[in-house]
Amino acid sequence: MVASQARTPAAVATVAQAEDKVGWGLASPLGLAYLAFFAAPLLLLGSISLFEDNELTKLGFANWIKFLGDPFYVGAIWRTIVLGVLTVLAATVLAYPMALLFYEAAPWLRRLLLFIVVLPLLTSVVVRTFAWIVLLAREGVVNQTLLSIGLSPVPLLQTQHGLVLALMQIELPLMLLPLLAVMQGIDRSLVEASRALGASRWRTFFKVLLPLSVPGWVAGATLVFASATTAFISQSVIGGGRLVYLPSVIWQQAMVISNWPFAAVASIMLLVSVLTGIVALNAVGRFIDPAGR
Amino acid sequence: MKHPRPDRRQVMAGAAAIGGTALFGGSAYAKGSVTAAIYPGSWDEQYRSIVLPALKKAHDVDLALEPLFAVDQIAKAVAARGVAPFDSFVLDPGPRVTAIERGLLEPFDGKKLTNASKLAATGIDGWGAAVNSQIVGIAYNPKKLPKPKSWKDLFQEPYVSKLGLTGFQTTFGTVSLIEMAKAFGGSEANIEPIFAEIKKILSKVAAVTPPAALPGMFQQGQIDVTYTNTNNVSTLKARGVDIEFAMPEEGAITFVTTLHIAKGGENKDNAYKYIDTVISAAVQEALMKSPAGLLPTNKEVVLAGDQPIKSLDELSKLVSHDWTKINPQRAAWIERFNKEVTK
Amino acid sequence: MTRRVTWMDASYFAVIGALTLIAFLVLVGPVIVVIVTSFTTSASLKFPPPSFSTRWYFDLFDPVKSRHIHSAAYNSLWVAAVATAAATLLAVPAAMAIARVRTKAARTVEATFLAPLILPTLSYGLATLMFFTLLGYRPSLWLLTIGHLIVISPFVFRTTVASFTQLDPVLLESSASLGASRFYTFRRVTLPLIVPGVAAGAFLAFVASLDNVPVSLFLSNARTDMLPIRMWGMIESTLDVRVAAISTVLIVSVVVLTLVMERLVGLTRRMGG
Repeated sequence: MVASQARTPAAVATVAQAEDKVGWGLASPLGLAYLAFFAAPLLLLGSISLFEDNELTKLGFANWIKFLGDPFYVGAIWRTIVLGVLTVLAATVLAYPMALLFYEAAPWLRRLLLFIVVLPLLTSVVVRTFAWIVLLAREGVVNQTLLSIGLSPVPLLQTQHGLVLALMQIELPLMLLPLLAVMQGIDRSLVEASRALGASRWRTFFKVLLPLSVPGWVAGATLVFASATTAFISQSVIGGGRLVYLPSVIWQQAMVISNWPFAAVASIMLLVSVLTGIVALNAVGRFIDPAGR
Repeated sequence: MKHPRPDRRQVMAGAAAIGGTALFGGSAYAKGSVTAAIYPGSWDEQYRSIVLPALKKAHDVDLALEPLFAVDQIAKAVAARGVAPFDSFVLDPGPRVTAIERGLLEPFDGKKLTNASKLAATGIDGWGAAVNSQIVGIAYNPKKLPKPKSWKDLFQEPYVSKLGLTGFQTTFGTVSLIEMAKAFGGSEANIEPIFAEIKKILSKVAAVTPPAALPGMFQQGQIDVTYTNTNNVSTLKARGVDIEFAMPEEGAITFVTTLHIAKGGENKDNAYKYIDTVISAAVQEALMKSPAGLLPTNKEVVLAGDQPIKSLDELSKLVSHDWTKINPQRAAWIERFNKEVTK
Repeated sequence: MTRRVTWMDASYFAVIGALTLIAFLVLVGPVIVVIVTSFTTSASLKFPPPSFSTRWYFDLFDPVKSRHIHSAAYNSLWVAAVATAAATLLAVPAAMAIARVRTKAARTVEATFLAPLILPTLSYGLATLMFFTLLGYRPSLWLLTIGHLIVISPFVFRTTVASFTQLDPVLLESSASLGASRFYTFRRVTLPLIVPGVAAGAFLAFVASLDNVPVSLFLSNARTDMLPIRMWGMIESTLDVRVAAISTVLIVSVVVLTLVMERLVGLTRRMGG
């Protein structure tokens, strides 16, 4: 008893200490794995982009100059970023109503909602692509429905809006999960106070719920943007050959033409585009909610 | 500053090795086995159900099939840089030339095959053995469209708005586009006319897709006409898809598909046994009668089923191509196609 | 005044209701298409099916006809299981190392460990192919496992960090002040409290590995065939209905697993992390 009491201050100190210093020893196994199998391959990717020929014998910037000097490839960067932004916007428009419903819902309904949100994550991306062909094709389900209610069919497959729609299905859960987590934590009394002061539901949403939920939105939008810009299979099948995005450039250069250095350049540009987009999203988040992280 | 050239690659490998460990060496495979690249889809399916058991029965060799298009095989083999990812290639004429030029193939010894004499004289050469003749033409949905007559028909109504375009990644895509270029006044050396025509119809065509998505698009009615080989048509037809093959009046295209031994492969002897099994009359006949309808190269096999030709002699009347001329231009064509079809 | 507010609120409910309905359709539509298609009698993937049967499920479970699918499924499960186990073993200590630290260094470490989540996996897939190729390794399940490990570790890391942050420091301090060693405190106090978070992360990691395309696309081959790549090959030119059947089986098993996890660890609460 005495002995253990004697140990007490030291033990408390170690716990307290752990609060302001990173436990490098604990972090190092994962850190080393990242160094060996994450950082090293990416560095290698960077080095390969600096070779001019496929046999990796001649150093130079030829592939960088070719990529950045060609309006087609620069256009592919732009298109990829636009695709990411559109998907984020579309996902936002649909995610917020669901999040609001979730906010108001009873516990059992919340569970059901969450289940529906998670469902698409469980459907293989390969099969989902087929399902979207079925839904979006010229004589597909969506167009048949439009016809039956007296509207004229619209081209969806092989168009950008069709692709955004398809991407939204898989990306929506990525936005909703963090958003719902934040919404759950919003103090109900704030909303009630707003209404009691005579604010409409719209005003309450824009002045109270929206600003408070921004951190969740930023987290979700980041994942959506990153995932939509790199969704190779959906892009090439649903978007089709008339819309060329960076991932299909990477695939073609690496696997069809087997030009590694050029594929490496395209990969790095994809990395840079995604990171730029994410930095911008976080800036937007801070602009809307300066108090947020 | 001395930088001996070949050393750079070793330096790169060395840099890569910083992260590597000896934890995972090359995996040891069972003794009696062979890994063969095979085209995805119907080839994969038929080789799995016909060649795999035949090889096991005849030589007690286990066959593992890796589905890859010809260009993907080359890419993987080039990428592997000397460590062959599989023992046997299956290639069309164009990629075959590339594979030879890039030194990916082991010189081929026809004497090791017991069935060698049953192939046509040109069936075996110093690099591989022919296992299948392919015929490329137009595929269309007979319930929705009348039978197309010429390549040019695809560029007019009622076909153009139902057309599925695919680029130069596949052999059938490449040769079809070349023939279309010829129909519009071009040649193997000058395919400019086809790009001009594609530009004109681009806003009307139903789809521009990777070859892999064509069957799904066809099945779901997004497209009702495209260009492909008889094998693909037979497979889809057997699965109840409304699809028929049409020989364009300018002449359908033919080429042979060949099997090869990979340089640096692990199981060369078994690869010979595999190729010998594929060209045996029994297997060739089964492959022809299968849903894939693969045209044989073994002369002993009597043609049957709904092949567009009555005897193998007719193949000589169809159009064939000089791939030594096509290959140097192909990478540029692939890139050009991308740029032209992009909005 | 009151009437105007009512009208405003009505428009609010109308817009929210309509958009929620669309969101439901977008989320659930493709899943229904896949499940319905798998019960077709037709020989190829076709929607709507001409009539219904379970023949493709019999085909799928036929050990001879579907041998290659079974081996791909086995490979995928093996890789997912090993990668998830490794990710958990590595990510939990890492999360512990930084979760309750407020310094800038800790935030940097956290961002680094989360990086694979937001970096394009296709670029990473290509990088790993080049990396292992230049090292001279043949494709193997181990290489796939390593590739997957990096891609899925952030899932475990993220939920575990969240669990640690929610941990009440008073509990740890009182355990320590009662004379418990650090290890004892970890085993008896910390661990039971973070297990649900770890399990939720591991579950997400497992599912992410099972459905991974970009890394497997570059690293798999005939002997290390992965299920999504095999399915892609089956759809590619033969529109094999078994693909829809596989997918339905996957959906059902993961749904069951999800329900079990929900019961045990409150999965859905933790996924937002």
